[in-house]
Amino acid sequence: MRLAPRISLLVAASLLSIGSAHAETVVKIGAALSLTGPAAAYGAQQKVGILAAVEEVNRSGALKGVKLEAVIEDDASTKEQGIAVFQRFINKDKVAAIIGPTLSNTATAADPLAQGARVPVVAVSNTAPKGITDIGDFIWRVSLTEGQVIPGALKRLQAKLGFKKAGVLYGNDDAFTQAGYNVMKAATEAMALEVVGTQTFAKPDKDYTAQLTALLGGKPEILIVSALVENASGIVAQARQLGWQGPIFGGNGFNSPKLMGNAGPAAEGVYVGTAWNKVSSAAPNQAFLKNMAARAHEPDQFCAQAWTGVMAIAEAIRLSGKGGREEVRAGFLKLKALPTPLGTFSFLESRDGSHDPALQVVKDGKFQIVQ
Amino acid sequence: MLEQLSDLYLTYQSTLGYIGINALLALSVYVSLSCGQLALGSAGFAALGAYAGALATMKADLPFPLALLLSALLPALVAVPLGLPVLRLKGVFLAIATIGFGEVVRLGLVNWEYVNGAQGIVAIPQKASIWMISLAVAVTLYVLSRVRGSKWGFALEAIREDEPAARTMGIPSTRYKLAMLVLGAALAGLAGGLEAHFTFMVAPNGFGFSRVVDMLVFAVVGGAQLFWGPVVGAGFLTVLPEVLREVAPLVGIEPGPLRMLVNGLVLLLVILYLPAGLVSLPRRLRERRAAP
Amino acid sequence: MGQQVINGLFLGSIYALFALGYTLVFGVLDILNLAHAAVFMVATFVAVALVGHGVHILLALPAAVLFAGLLGLVLERVAFRPLRARTDSNIAGLISSLAAATIIEAVVLEIWGPNITRFPFGTLPEGPTNQLRLLGGTVSRLQLTIIAVAGLLVLALTWLVQRTRLGREVRAVAESPRAARVLGVDVDRAIAAAFFISSALGGAGGVLYGLAFNSISPDMGRGVELKGLAVIILGGMGSMPGAVLAGFALGLTEVFVVANLGGSWRDVISFAGLFLFLVLRPRGLLGAAVTREA
Repeated sequence: MRLAPRISLLVAASLLSIGSAHAETVVKIGAALSLTGPAAAYGAQQKVGILAAVEEVNRSGALKGVKLEAVIEDDASTKEQGIAVFQRFINKDKVAAIIGPTLSNTATAADPLAQGARVPVVAVSNTAPKGITDIGDFIWRVSLTEGQVIPGALKRLQAKLGFKKAGVLYGNDDAFTQAGYNVMKAATEAMALEVVGTQTFAKPDKDYTAQLTALLGGKPEILIVSALVENASGIVAQARQLGWQGPIFGGNGFNSPKLMGNAGPAAEGVYVGTAWNKVSSAAPNQAFLKNMAARAHEPDQFCAQAWTGVMAIAEAIRLSGKGGREEVRAGFLKLKALPTPLGTFSFLESRDGSHDPALQVVKDGKFQIVQ
Repeated sequence: MLEQLSDLYLTYQSTLGYIGINALLALSVYVSLSCGQLALGSAGFAALGAYAGALATMKADLPFPLALLLSALLPALVAVPLGLPVLRLKGVFLAIATIGFGEVVRLGLVNWEYVNGAQGIVAIPQKASIWMISLAVAVTLYVLSRVRGSKWGFALEAIREDEPAARTMGIPSTRYKLAMLVLGAALAGLAGGLEAHFTFMVAPNGFGFSRVVDMLVFAVVGGAQLFWGPVVGAGFLTVLPEVLREVAPLVGIEPGPLRMLVNGLVLLLVILYLPAGLVSLPRRLRERRAAP
Repeated sequence: MGQQVINGLFLGSIYALFALGYTLVFGVLDILNLAHAAVFMVATFVAVALVGHGVHILLALPAAVLFAGLLGLVLERVAFRPLRARTDSNIAGLISSLAAATIIEAVVLEIWGPNITRFPFGTLPEGPTNQLRLLGGTVSRLQLTIIAVAGLLVLALTWLVQRTRLGREVRAVAESPRAARVLGVDVDRAIAAAFFISSALGGAGGVLYGLAFNSISPDMGRGVELKGLAVIILGGMGSMPGAVLAGFALGLTEVFVVANLGGSWRDVISFAGLFLFLVLRPRGLLGAAVTREA
């Protein structure tokens, strides 16, 4: 019985410490990003977006008593390390939700682990229409698939320009650009466009003149291109150098200020279907842009989508009032019409994201919205 | 306590699995090196094994052991007609020819629509477990340990040291070299089949030039003169990124470039100062201490 | 058609420029210097940084080339010379060059980041006024300049190797280091010279490549690394005229494969061709009958 006072003292002390911690429960969000390797340029943008969004949520105090903490790990653009990072998040860091991974290929290898462990995943850059959210009911997606963006944008552009013959160019050794091409192919078939030629290139390529010359020889009225931004600016510049004055329609990869940065005036007249309308005057977008300007960071779509991923998780926590794994998922089920830089955002029944895509054109060195 | 241990295991189980897979891949390069041949077709062989295995379970509904057998068998069969002409080449020329083979396999898969091109085969059922992978490594090591010191082992060593001399002694060097290439192909294919059923997906990008370079690096860093060297190398270099993940925040450097830098430095130091790989480190240290 | 010939010649000149230095070291040491692509890349970043600081490209180019040459000397000293006495030096050299390449790429990634950059606009005159019509196709002055510079470098290198004392020493070492030493050649100096020239050429190739395509990133060497291998094999080991000829042959072949069969066949044909060439005609187009076979 001599121990009793000491125990009660201990209990009191631990209660006290719980009390002080309770004021702010820390909820960890893991982000598996490609910070090195071929996809490093995307991972860098996503990292900025996630860190900024977490800071913003904590500053705003929207989540009373909950403090978000981002745990960012590099997956080196490989599935091997992507899997290792997911295992870490699930079992060691015990995160409430995972954002990422950057690449679709890595997602198809790592997401099943999170599904098995019942940890919600928010994909912020996977655009392959199949094989991501159909892994299971814990896999959600903020990024629009190519299938949600391209057909609509292409149709809108055809109504405006009235082309009938298209030349198609795509990167065939990359999951992202190949998925984009599959969607483009289906769209051209649905629109009964005449495809005068289809050419491919590989990711390490810098010279596309042979493919472009062959395509231009078929006298297309538009060039339709699925490429990563590394390749996109070169393709655009070389097409112009070969004398192509007509419109170029690009997939998601074109959606970066790097396009104008690297292609310069050659980028004028490039049309892109986009998940993020950079020049939108809506308040959430302006707030996002202001935040980025304060960091002297030029955001692209990947940055905006990563930011939105964090905001979706924060909203889910707010809706269910707690930051556990099941609660985040339950919150996603309730999430409706969230105002984000991407527009008013909701999840579809398939757990894919839904908001209005836009069609933009490069004019005077800037993306401008095509009405 | 028990819970913490189980968390630790769960956190690193994929790393454990990959140590085994990478060990098999490193051994597939090592078996050719053991008779002095630098054959770098293993990424191509692993790709063949991975795709054969995945298609066998998903399209043909074969039981997993049978699918794995196919994973090992198909590359081994391909290695025979490949090996007959290319094994006449020596040194870096053999390496280049086999790199060319590997690239052709990768590009073939990229262009093959039936297997989804660059997007690869996804949603493969997870049938490989850590114990199966460990068993595969253990059996391979046992077989290689039996080769060492046997008639086969001496023949391979003789070919590595001086092939013309070995031939004058009546050793059919081409047959031995071909046997090792076929064994290497089977090991790589087995590793590919295990990986496909361990990581839910396979894609051609996972089997490019940089992958076979990794395998060679595992073998050399561990030590390419002893059969267990490649396993040590694969273990060390597979765990290293996870260790750096812990260390990087402490020293305040971005983990990404640091990992590359450390990888490069380890490789350079080993090749310069430990030609027999990490496995020779204890002996080297003992010699150091014994010397005045 | 005319345009495709121009495209092929231009691509070929880039391959040739890359492969020249590659094959020089290969011919002298029998070592595949996988760091060549990294030198190619880092020289481009140095040139971009210089131009960014207001240095004119006509000064930045030679400065970057000099930097590449010096880096080649460092590589030789650190990663290759210590291995020379080993029996497995060609495998060990391959590995140490790979280590060097990884280290260089990590450093560039740390300093400049993973993003793709370009030379500032206006580094060279651009625009429609700088384009010429030729053979029924369009070609920019820059492309013509690059083809011309590549040609000049080939001539200069050929002169250097064939006519100068240094060149004779390098060739002697390539034949047989032991015999060269007996004849009084400073073998270490000759090998170092070969590395300097090789890396300087690689650096020049990188800067011109960066100027031509304006997409500069830490992994930009990857695209030419394996193609460069194909070129030196096709050209014949250590044969510089062979490398140039094979560079143009590969460039033209690739362009015509793209035009007639489609882009997805291009690399398949390149690598299958490399493979078949090694098996059927191991000495390459212009290589001497050497001991590639056991």
